[in-house]
Amino acid sequence: MNCSNDLIEAYMDEELDPGPSASLEEHLLNCQACAEAHSRFRTQKANIRSAPYYTAPAQLERSVRDALRRAVANEAKPAASILPWRWMAIAATVLLAISVSWNIHPFPRRTVENDLVAQNILSDHIRSLIGTHLLDVPSSNQHTVKPWFNGKLDFSPDVKDFTSQGFPLIGGRLDYLMDRPVAALVYGRRQHVINVFTWPADPTLMAESHYSRNGYNAIHWSHASMTFWAVSDIAPTELAQFKNLYEK
Amino acid sequence: MKNSVTTSETRLRLFEEVILPHLNAAYNLARWLTRNEYDAQDAVQEAYLRAFRFFDGYRGGDGKSWLLEIVRNTCFTFHRREKRNVTSVVFDEAAHTPAVGLPNAEEALVEAGKRTIMQKCIEGLPETFREVLVMRELEEMSYREIADVAGVPAGTVMSRLSRARKRLEECAQGRNMESDK
Repeated sequence: MNCSNDLIEAYMDEELDPGPSASLEEHLLNCQACAEAHSRFRTQKANIRSAPYYTAPAQLERSVRDALRRAVANEAKPAASILPWRWMAIAATVLLAISVSWNIHPFPRRTVENDLVAQNILSDHIRSLIGTHLLDVPSSNQHTVKPWFNGKLDFSPDVKDFTSQGFPLIGGRLDYLMDRPVAALVYGRRQHVINVFTWPADPTLMAESHYSRNGYNAIHWSHASMTFWAVSDIAPTELAQFKNLYEK
Repeated sequence: MKNSVTTSETRLRLFEEVILPHLNAAYNLARWLTRNEYDAQDAVQEAYLRAFRFFDGYRGGDGKSWLLEIVRNTCFTFHRREKRNVTSVVFDEAAHTPAVGLPNAEEALVEAGKRTIMQKCIEGLPETFREVLVMRELEEMSYREIADVAGVPAGTVMSRLSRARKRLEECAQGRNMESDK
């Protein structure tokens, strides 16, 4: 018989009918080259199958089920949205879970002060998503958002738009963090929200640092005597990418 | 299979019964195609919503292949969107570059061993090869099922698998030599 790698692979993939399969097995006993190829493929198959099989995280099933329920609810009554108290309850649970577990496993290069700020920032990010106060000035125009802060803050925040890079500016709001008023700039990333908090830098909090808790990621950096905190539930790599855009 | 769906609630229950059990397969494929857990979760969620919208088009049969086709297309849409929007690199570039001249990467590879080498090599395959390989070796799907998902003839699945394995062998050999130095 004519032996080829294709045939051996099809045999190993259990795609050969019984007849051809039996004659290949017989051939493998008599042809050293084919037997070696077969053994090579078998080792490789074992190696490939040692690669991870990624099982779905538990919260993914929940979020898929929730999304489907919402889709059905919207189909049933297109005009009505889900009762706000249900969202409040969900968000409050998330907030509680995070406030309990935020303190553990600090990343390297952090400071006690930064950890404290990080806790506040994360709570603030979540509060901004729960309630009605995500935006004071809804606008994708940086020349609308920046002047809006005039007279409300003792500094002028650096407002940039990254729509063309996939991080559109959505707007801004006045916020209060670490005993001082700060600018919160809001950006979108697909269906996710990024909050950027900025205020004049405290010289003790200059080091860049990263935080990751419960699916939320925060990145902190300083630039031109201002401190910046970006927080979102997007991937750390995307958040870092956003930070790089911001710093340019 | 009878598919006379009357209300959206019944439709949802049927969908949850037939399609939701394939969540792990959906996530595994999405995770290998997007190469990161965040995009994979977004893609799976979006794929499930799409699948639910198209559920009336499902005529029974293999729910897994039907779902995976949607997952795969969603991942590719995500990826194209990324390519358009993103100027800098989202993927872990180090994972897709030979370890030449990167002493730390070399050490890390030695420690992590063959498992990591194989993972990196699979992640480095072109998408069309990666998807058939993951479906064949990790999902243990037949050529016919893979062909349905990828929308190509079974013969093409076979030749893509063969080329994928050839590339993997070269990649693994290259990586092993790097780590043996």
